Formats: sequence, structure tokens, C-alpha cells
Amino acid sequence: MTAAIQVDGLAKTYNGSVKAVDGVSFSVEAGEAYGFLGPNGAGKTTTVSMLTALLAPTAGRAIVDGIDVFADPASIKRRIGLVFQESTSDSDLTGRENLQLAAALFGVPRKEVAHRIDDLLQKLQIADAADRLTKTYSGGMRRRLELAVGIIHSPRVLFLDEPTLGLDPQGRAGFWRYVQELRKEHGMTVFVTTHYLEEADGICDRIAIIDHGHIVATGSPSELKDRLGGDVVTIRPANPGLAAAAQTALALVPGVLAVTPQDGTLRVKCLRGEELVPKLVEACDKAGVGLAGVSLKRPSLDEVFLEFTGREFREDEGMTATDMAVRLGQVQQAWGRSRR
Amino acid sequence: MIRELSALTRRELLRIARNPQALVTALLLPILYLLLFGQAFDLGALAASSPGGQAALIASIRGAPTYFSYFSAGMAGFVAVTATLFIGANVIFDRLFGVLKRTAATPATATSIFGSRLIAGSIQPIGLAFLVLGLSLLLGHLGLSGLQVTASLTAVGAVEIVLAVVILSLMFASLFLAIGFTIEQPQSYFAVVNAINLPVLLTSAALYPWGTMPPWFRNVASVNPITLAVTVIRENLFAGATAYYPYGPAVYLLGLLGWAAAMMVLAIVLARRALAPKQ
Ligand SMILES: Nc1ncnc2c1ncn2[C@@H]1O[C@H](COP(=O)(O)OP(=O)(O)OP(=O)(O)O)[C@@H](O)[C@H]1O
Ligand SMILES: [Mg+2]
Repeated sequence: MTAAIQVDGLAKTYNGSVKAVDGVSFSVEAGEAYGFLGPNGAGKTTTVSMLTALLAPTAGRAIVDGIDVFADPASIKRRIGLVFQESTSDSDLTGRENLQLAAALFGVPRKEVAHRIDDLLQKLQIADAADRLTKTYSGGMRRRLELAVGIIHSPRVLFLDEPTLGLDPQGRAGFWRYVQELRKEHGMTVFVTTHYLEEADGICDRIAIIDHGHIVATGSPSELKDRLGGDVVTIRPANPGLAAAAQTALALVPGVLAVTPQDGTLRVKCLRGEELVPKLVEACDKAGVGLAGVSLKRPSLDEVFLEFTGREFREDEGMTATDMAVRLGQVQQAWGRSRR
Repeated sequence: MIRELSALTRRELLRIARNPQALVTALLLPILYLLLFGQAFDLGALAASSPGGQAALIASIRGAPTYFSYFSAGMAGFVAVTATLFIGANVIFDRLFGVLKRTAATPATATSIFGSRLIAGSIQPIGLAFLVLGLSLLLGHLGLSGLQVTASLTAVGAVEIVLAVVILSLMFASLFLAIGFTIEQPQSYFAVVNAINLPVLLTSAALYPWGTMPPWFRNVASVNPITLAVTVIRENLFAGATAYYPYGPAVYLLGLLGWAAAMMVLAIVLARRALAPKQ
């Protein structure tokens, strides 16, 4: 496997003083989904902007799809797709016209354009609005169009900067389903930034937690959680009188770290709880203990974040890109209204 | 390259077509000038009241039959300039609303991003300039002060007039695009553009009779691009005008072309800088 994204000591200092990204290094394998998880102002958008040749770094190197980003911005742009955090679609064009423009600029073969656009519009459920000006779109519809524009040319590497910001749960699920489909079909590499922990957990093969421009932890979602000390499987024997027998049996299962009785149940601390559950059930069975219930609780990435940064997700001082995106959306809507 | 240029140009045209208010604003100015200023500012009436006045007036407006005729050619040039103002503003709004960033993230070159805006943005000014000439002719036919064509217009002359208007529009469109790619705030854009637009008009021979200008002013006016374009129109429309001008229309066209080339180079350089990775 070759790296689709290789980053060494990448840094960006704005106006000589604001250290937005402070020397990050990581690599993303081809076909992998890699998440950048961090609070507002952590440096996510700044990193994406540098990797997509929109922003010059203060220091460091980045290779994307085998090409040095800063030596050859033009050929990078041909190979990658980018979905911005804020809305960038053209409000005086219809959804379809926005897509036609992007298709032409990315050199999508002419014969395929119409078909590909119809397919995208349908999969992202904006086909009904395709021929309306995008200034009449709702926020969620605009977001879906953004994604469609970002992937119209089947990029080899897709950069998503908080792509599901403002989408409803269905929209979010539909969006990710489609991204996963593309990954399977084309082996597309995905670099996604988010501050939705569940989202990073569900989508990413690996995650980097970024805070104040530094990567503070990396690993697969489950590795990161394991570092917190693992999962808890709660087992409820059908007959509370057999709890002691069950405890003895469970403690002998390899992988179990500790078993503690609590209110007639047994809390089993372990790594990789999912894989262990069948073995725990089997052990109880052999010991002749019937079960009334089993549940698994994994530590969430919220706790992971807390662990590695020493803070809850914070609301940072100053105006961050998210605020700006929201404000820009408001300005844009007001502008659209005033022109209608 | 052709595909990206035509796709981007189509986008600009759709956008202009879908915001017709801009056209109404652009139309208002020349119509007011022709219907009000042109009708009321009657130098002919003044000249007729003194002996030899008429001959002096004609010498002063360099062979044009009436002041309105002289002035309407000037207005055609002026409109070709003012109607290009909005295209730089469009760049600024596109930057504000993220559209420019979206375009910068595609492989489109700065030259075609500039070129598409130049092509689409010049259609309206060119159309308006000819509308001014047409409307001026019509006013004459209606018995009001109007444009009187006293020369027999040749095919070459017609081509020269079209070229003068086209090149003048391209030149100012390039200049205002250059400013639009450089300035980030709409307010500053309009401040800068107004600081250019009126002085350029008021140092040209678009409105004033040549004969009333002091010599130093003539020196300034004779290299002004609006003067160059307007001179090409006047030499071709008015019999005997050529006797008043030191050069033929082709020379003025060349001068205008020089201005336009300089502005295009400037605009491409600034567009490239604006679309390159931000420092
Ligand atoms: N153009 C700029 N000029 C100066 N400072 C900037 C600029 N853009 C971003 N910053 C600062 O750099 C830091 C990182 O910003 P960035 O937009 O990369 O954060 P983010 O992780 O994307 O945040 P969010 O979750 O809010 O989108 C912030 O402190 C921000 O204020
Ligand atoms: Mg951001």
C-alpha cells in the first residue's frame, strides 16, 4: 500500500502570530478514511486548505496522490475533490447548472456528464430541486449539492471539511452511505474533519485528534477507546443466586481484566468487548448459569477527547470558521432575499 | 482550455441575465444624459446669436455638425466605460460568497477565469454604446436634438467604430476586473472605482468642445483612452472632421489597443495572484 496523503511537519502561522497549525505529520493509506477530530479553531480547515493547495504553508511538506502539493498546485486540483465547510455553490445558477460547471472545469468526459449528474442528484435526493436556483435551496439541500459538486469528477482523494454541518440525521446518514459507496467502487481515499464524535467513530478507519494546531493522539477509533481502559460488559444472570458462580467462570475468560458484582449484575471490564461477548456467554453457559441480559458499553470519543486534551469540547474565543460559515449563510440568504 | 472558458463564460452570462436590475441601472444614465443634458445644453442656439458664431462652433467641435452630434459620440464612449463597473464588483461578491474559492479549488486557470468575466462582462457595455448612438439618431428623426451623420460611412469606417467601442470596453473591463481581484471589500471597491471613473471621463474629450479646452488640458485629453475611442467614431461619422484631427482613425485605434493590452496584462497578473495559494 502506498500513502495517498503524506504530511511532514506542516505548519501555518497567520499574520506572523496566530499559530493555526503547529507542525503536524501523518500519513493516510490509499483507500483509507482518515478523520481529523478537534474543537472549533483547532486548525482543521487550515490543514485542509493547505492540503488542497488553497493556502500556502509556513513550513512543512505534503504529498497528495504522489504529487507535491506546493510544487504543483494545478495537478493536485485535478485529482482531488473538496467539500468546503461553508456553502460555495453559485446562488444564481440551478443545482444542475452548478454541477455542469464543475463537470466542465474538472474535465469530466462530455458523454458522461448528464448521466453522472442525474445519478448524483438522485442519490443525494435533490433531483426534484435540480432545476431551481440554488438560492431557493434549504441549508441541507445546499449541503447535499456541495457534496455532489465535490465528487462529480470521481476524485482519487476526497477532502471533506465538516461536510454534514447542518444536515438532519437522515441527510447525514444518506451522505455517508453515498461516500462509503464511492469508497467501495473507486477505492477513494477520504480525509474528513469533524467535531461530531459519533461520526468520526462510524466512518473513519483512523482518527487524529487535533487541538491548538497539534495532533494529540492518533489511532483507530477502537484503539483510542482501548487506551481509556476498555469496555464494560454488563451481565445479568437469570438467577441472582448464581452470580458468584458466574463471576468465577467469567474471570477465567482470556481478555477479561476485572469482574465486579453490582446490584445482582456483573460488570466485566475488558478490551474489545464486542469480540468477547460470545465467549462470556459461552463461559456462563458452561458454568450452568442462565442469562437474563447482556449489554456492552464502550467509552465514547467524547471521553477520549477529554482524556487527551484535558477538556470537554470547548467553545473557543474569537470567530472560527464555523461561525463564519454560519454568518456567511445568513448574509447569503439576506442577499438572496433582497434580490428576489 | 476552450471548454473551461466556455463553461465559465456561460456561468457569467446566466448570472448577468438573471440579474436584469443591473442592466436597468446601466441604461438609466445614458438615457438621462441624452434626453435631459443633451437637449438642454444647446451650444448651437448660443452660436447662432453672434456673427460667425456657427463657424467658430464647428471649428471648436472639430467638424461635427452640432454639439449634440459631437456629444453623443462622447456618450457612447462614456457608457462603454461605466457599464463595465459592475463586473469588478461581481468578483468581490463572488469572493464574499465563496464562489471564487470554489472556482480556485478547480483546475481552471486564472486566465480563463479572467477571460470568461471579460467576455461576458463586455457584451453589455458594447451593446449600450451602440444603443446610445441609435437612440441619438432616433432623437434627431423625432425633431429633437439628435445625432446627425454627415459623412458617408464606409465599411472600413463601420468596422473601426465597432473596434473602438469593443477595445474601449475590454480595456476598462480589464481594469475593473484587476481592481476586483485585488480589493476585498465592496465599499473600498466602489470608492476606488469612482475615483477612477469620473476623472477619466472628465479628462477626456467626450463632453467638452475641443476648442474650449486650455492647451495643457488638450495634452492630457489626447492620450485619454475615452478620447481615443471617441475620436475614431467622430472621424468616421462627420464629414470634414478628418481635417481637424492630426491622425487618421487607425492611429487612434492603435493607441487604444496599447491601453487595452496593458490593462489585460495587469488584470491577468492580479487574477493569477488572487487565485494562487494564499500566503
Ligand atoms: N485567515 C485567517 N487569518 C488569521 N487567523 C486565522 C485565519 N483563518 C483561521 N485563523 C485562525 O486559525 C485557527 C484555526 O482555524 P481553523 O479555521 O483552521 O479551525 P477549525 O479547526 O477549522 O475550526 P472550526 O471547527 O471552527 O471550523 C483559529 O484560531 C482561527 O482563528
Ligand atoms: Mg473549520
